[in-house]
Amino acid sequence: MAKMMNNLLIKVYQQILIRIEDKAKFKKDYSEVVLARKRLRAENRINSFEDNLSAKCLVLALKYSVNNDATKELIASKVQKIENKFYWRKRALKTSFERKSAKAEDKSAVEKTFFDKARELDNELSKEIETINQKYSGIKSNLEQYNTEVKELEIKTLEKIAQIERKSASSLEDFKKKTDNKIELLNKFGKYFKDKLFALVDQTKINNYGLDEDVILRLDNLTMRFGGLLAVDHLSFDVKEGEIFGLIGPNGAGKTTVFNCITKFYKPFDGKMYFRKNKIDTVFLNDYKVHQIIKQGIVRTFQNVELIWELTVIDNLLVAAHTLFKTGFFGQLIHTRKLRQEELVLRKKAENVLTKIGLLAYKDSYPLGLPYGILKKIELARTLMVEPKMIILDEPAAGLNDAETLELAKLIKMIRDEEKVTIFLVEHDMGLVMDICDTVCAISFGKRLAIGTPKEIQENKLVRDAYLGEE
Amino acid sequence: MLKLKNVLANFKKQFLSISKHPYFGFIVLGLIFLFALFLRNMGLLTISVINTFTLVMIYSVVAMGFSLLLGFGGLASLGTAGLVGLGSFIMGYFHGIGGMSFGMTIVISIIIALAVGLLVGFISLRIEGMYLAIITLGLGEMLRQFFISYDTFTGGFTGTSLRSFKIFGKLFESGNDNYFNTVYIIVIICFILAMVATINIIKSPTGRALLSMKNSESAAQSMGISIIKYRLLAFILSSVFAVLGGVLYILHTKFSYPPQWNLSYSLDILAAVIVGGAQSIYGIIIGVFLIFGLKVSVLNYIPFFSNNPALIVIFNGVLIVLVVMFYPGGLIRLLQTSWFKLKIKLAKIKMKWRTYRYGKDDE
Repeated sequence: MAKMMNNLLIKVYQQILIRIEDKAKFKKDYSEVVLARKRLRAENRINSFEDNLSAKCLVLALKYSVNNDATKELIASKVQKIENKFYWRKRALKTSFERKSAKAEDKSAVEKTFFDKARELDNELSKEIETINQKYSGIKSNLEQYNTEVKELEIKTLEKIAQIERKSASSLEDFKKKTDNKIELLNKFGKYFKDKLFALVDQTKINNYGLDEDVILRLDNLTMRFGGLLAVDHLSFDVKEGEIFGLIGPNGAGKTTVFNCITKFYKPFDGKMYFRKNKIDTVFLNDYKVHQIIKQGIVRTFQNVELIWELTVIDNLLVAAHTLFKTGFFGQLIHTRKLRQEELVLRKKAENVLTKIGLLAYKDSYPLGLPYGILKKIELARTLMVEPKMIILDEPAAGLNDAETLELAKLIKMIRDEEKVTIFLVEHDMGLVMDICDTVCAISFGKRLAIGTPKEIQENKLVRDAYLGEE
Repeated sequence: MLKLKNVLANFKKQFLSISKHPYFGFIVLGLIFLFALFLRNMGLLTISVINTFTLVMIYSVVAMGFSLLLGFGGLASLGTAGLVGLGSFIMGYFHGIGGMSFGMTIVISIIIALAVGLLVGFISLRIEGMYLAIITLGLGEMLRQFFISYDTFTGGFTGTSLRSFKIFGKLFESGNDNYFNTVYIIVIICFILAMVATINIIKSPTGRALLSMKNSESAAQSMGISIIKYRLLAFILSSVFAVLGGVLYILHTKFSYPPQWNLSYSLDILAAVIVGGAQSIYGIIIGVFLIFGLKVSVLNYIPFFSNNPALIVIFNGVLIVLVVMFYPGGLIRLLQTSWFKLKIKLAKIKMKWRTYRYGKDDE
């Protein structure tokens, strides 16, 4: 009775702890996003003030006709504009003259009028240029006044910039203090519950289904039957935490069926599957439904890419983060502030994931029409959104060329090392498997042939027979 | 002078940033419709134009719910007419005959819509595509037969009529301008609210979940999206929109009789959503205008069409065939692409003018 009570309490504490930790994490992420935004805004404002200052200086320079480079450029550009205008007028005159002279009998008269008009145009042009020069440099240059006014302006803008900086810094600090206080409070609560939880855990013996400390996934006599076909036959093995585990076998050996059983796309005919969710919790996977598997910390990819083609790449990642949205349906119906905050935070997270994978350039494009290697990478990025404990990759290198496969191997290793996840993959590309896997399991017709390091598998006679046929 | 310029530029910037918000367009659209009412009261527009606008808005509400089901959930349904009829009869019975308050009737209609949506959703759980359409068609016909035979609720074959309604303690009798104006304003408000709700659903995790369910069920499931939940949600949403559309319908036309809610009405809604563009709110409104509005406002006045109404159906059929053949994304896609092309052309003309005015070409 006491044991049952304790188990119940442990579950309750865990739920509370998860909520508190989630909230604290969300607050932290959100504050980071907001701080970055605020900083950017302040920077933009300061930049705009600086731009304004230089523009005002130019105006002053023109007013006092100070011959610096900017004014010279301005005058030159204005002169250029007028010259262009007159060029076209002259050209029109020329064409009309040619047309008239071809028709007319008395060519000299036409020629005379043409030359008169051309001279007039030239005069006009020179006059206009003169007026421009007069406008901008006719007054005597007055350097002293210019310098004093520019100095005044500079002081003013510098003051304003300093003011903005002070304001933004103070508001940033306020915001940071507020969120830090909240986070600290949450952490305090979290610590309280954590201590209680661990005390309880020490007292009671938790049912971890006999899993060893370092085992994350255990299959125990898994059997799957389609009618008369025995696709998986009493298969059992352990996957250790933090390793890259490869499942190999000839075509039709039942590898993908094993994956589908683990992720509950198929209901196993017989056998048990256990998964270590965290240090305390071990779950019995048979009890869960397909869409609940992701919450236990297992994410998968598919053999032939299954993306949402009508959404952009970043929205695809947000679909993967579906379980991270805490707002309910009615909150979504009126787009509450919380939903907007969540969206902001998760979008930032998706961008970070895309940067890590190296796909940030494809952020806003639709996956339809992108190269196959990139689609595979998007699927991989999708799995990283929920920070899983285990990633299941179904033939990640299928359809990739050699260079892409090498890159993929690097990426998988990088993900394992940086995210500290366990990776469980099925692959036909033996080069990739032998290169990256720590442990390899070979199956044939649903039965386990051998399990061990890649080298052991390579030297195993049963495996060779299965692949190459018996001698 | 310089300061005024700055202020104007700032204002323009702010206006641009506001106008990018999706609600802005909806409110502008609502104001345009409201302005039409103003013009009619001035005597500049005929009543038939306002009638067309009202019908377009009411059917748009229904079509928006349907687009959530078809365009996002990927589920085809042919039982819309029954639901719209149900809404109209609920209003007619509970408010018109039973004397229940307006708000209470709306709540009851939403609850009934929820129940019907749940029922249809549960029936449809393991059925896809064509077969789903057939089953929902059966449900729609069942509802119609129910309306005809259960005459205490619907008034039998002759139907129900709504002579007056009461809102916020004020009684509005049919037949005068006051009634007409009030209904029109209620319809505009519901129309805007429906658009806002739709865009909010589309641009939230729910909308993405519906789309992912349509695109790849296995991916959706492995990402933690429960297919059952979102199928039910899609059906519930579409039936709530349809029932509210029915409520608005009986407020506007003041009567509803069962034979009206037949298959051809459901097909018209389907046609409107497909012709306009199943994933765009403005597209739906365009589609509804082409399918329903043209019929009411233009085609009925052309003798060629009004003498034999079957031609209107043929016209709709030809429209659907053309749109599906050439613009699978709907007419809104055509408008978007042509607007884009026009923009490019204008930019080219501008460039040419600039080179003519300021540029020098090599002789």
